[in-house]
Amino acid sequence: MVQILVYGAVISAIYAMLAVGFTLIFGVARILNLAHGSFYALGAYGVYTFTAVAHLPLWLASVLAVLFVAVFGMAMERVLVRPLRRSMLAVLLITLAVALMVEQVLLLVFGSEARNVPSMVNATYHFAGVDISAQRLLALLGGILILTGLWLFMQRTRLGSAILAISQDAEAAQYMGIPSDRIYSIVMGLSAGIAAAAGVLVAPFQTVIPGMGLLPLVKAFAIVVVGGLGSIPGSIVGALLLGYTETIIAFKISIEWSQIVSVAAVLITLILRPAGFFGKRAAF
Amino acid sequence: MGILKVDRLAVLLASAALATAPLLFDNTYAIGVLTVALCFGMWSASWDFMSGLTGRENFGHSLFIGAGAYTAGFLNVQFGLSPWWSLAAAPVCAVLFSLVIGIPTLRLKGPYFALAMLSGAAVMQNLTIIFSKYTGGQDGLNGLDPMLDSPLAYYYLVLIFLIVSTIILKVVANSTWGTILRAIRGDEASCQACGINVNFYKIASLMISAAFAGLGGALYAHYQLQVGPDLFAIVLSINIIIMVYVGGLGSIYGPVGGAILLNVLTESLRAFSEYRLWVYTLVLIFILFFMPQGLIAPLWRRIRSFVA
Repeated sequence: MVQILVYGAVISAIYAMLAVGFTLIFGVARILNLAHGSFYALGAYGVYTFTAVAHLPLWLASVLAVLFVAVFGMAMERVLVRPLRRSMLAVLLITLAVALMVEQVLLLVFGSEARNVPSMVNATYHFAGVDISAQRLLALLGGILILTGLWLFMQRTRLGSAILAISQDAEAAQYMGIPSDRIYSIVMGLSAGIAAAAGVLVAPFQTVIPGMGLLPLVKAFAIVVVGGLGSIPGSIVGALLLGYTETIIAFKISIEWSQIVSVAAVLITLILRPAGFFGKRAAF
Repeated sequence: MGILKVDRLAVLLASAALATAPLLFDNTYAIGVLTVALCFGMWSASWDFMSGLTGRENFGHSLFIGAGAYTAGFLNVQFGLSPWWSLAAAPVCAVLFSLVIGIPTLRLKGPYFALAMLSGAAVMQNLTIIFSKYTGGQDGLNGLDPMLDSPLAYYYLVLIFLIVSTIILKVVANSTWGTILRAIRGDEASCQACGINVNFYKIASLMISAAFAGLGGALYAHYQLQVGPDLFAIVLSINIIIMVYVGGLGSIYGPVGGAILLNVLTESLRAFSEYRLWVYTLVLIFILFFMPQGLIAPLWRRIRSFVA
């Protein structure tokens, strides 16, 4: 029981970090970013490279990995996505091309075998009869801190208000003098950075392989559909819902069936309430 | 010569060229490469019928291919049925999958359909690995019976299926039905205002697309004599989309040409075949930025206006 509670919370926090970035860049820039899972994979491989190859301390490696991925996301937006923004299909395809490239580069550089990333904290806590590694708790804590930070940033700063304004009405915001292109770049960097942070936090207890970005992309999409495409609170609620459902099914029935949750959730939501639980815009 | 006559002549010439191609090489390896290229041609044409005409992009065509191939595998390996049964059963199974994804998502605007197809395919690939007791896991189902004994004869069988299905899809695309699909791509709301049941047309064309993809999957399975989780892979769907883009979106025959061209090209540049995915991604980026109309269909239109 305690195990379900804690594991579910950890998974939900990771999912929420992935889904928030995914929904943010869609809500603000209308970019459906299929390379979002690659940011997560790049974050994990980044921390691996900086510790195992460059022998940097773990905290520095984590920060560097997140910054690197954020810059990578901004460069991708500037060079590849912006010239194609008039066509939704072209944007989908170009982000997909980036996702494939990233996977191929990782495969070429690191090979297909799984890599190990050392834990940031090695302790294992023991309460109510279950063992929970401190790394998982750190992932949970990190997720909560980052999401709170994001919320404060969006609500309290000028830049955050500009981002919210663009997401409400891009054209009107532009007339008010908000530089939309620069905001898109910043949001892409932000979304990439958050996804990379999720990758960094899970790297010690997940298998780090080149194709690790695909499943998180599917999960992020499912969460965002359940919560409502473009809504940040919706994606956090969706992450909790999906994270706990998966954990409960994994513990009570079998880990196999938990894989189906995301697709079933997407289909059920689209049939019952296509706009998602917190979506403002009707999807029809 | 009239345009129709030129088109018919071109179909004959292209079919004749494909029919003589294996005779020029005359080794099983080359025939195999060409058979695979024909399967890709079928998948690309069926993708184009739904997504090229209606503009609702399908990012998980491999869902239908895998469904068709696994149907063939189950019927043949587990139940011992003759391979010919799978030609009928595979399209049916693929159509069932298209209904599960299509009915909830195609009613909606926005990217729901594209993403649901993507996740559907990804989850099916996982399920085939997880339920390894029935599906053979990563190794897949092995030991399918060949439909015909000689690889050359099988090549011709696949070629006939490809030609017939391309002609069917092209004829439908040129009929009123195809016009309606193109109108849906142009402006869905106006179509609805004209009393066209937009959802019916979108879902029905997805079913047609799935049926041909499933058939192609079954043909592919009985060539490889093995089906594996890779048939559900996202990469397969992406390769098909790239082939369609090279061929020219919405032309049906262009994607077939694009599929054969890219398959033969990467195979003949043997040094590159390891970097196949690299070649494909770079081709995709190049096409998106510099040739959004594609290569083969615009080229053919130019030749045709020159001849006719």
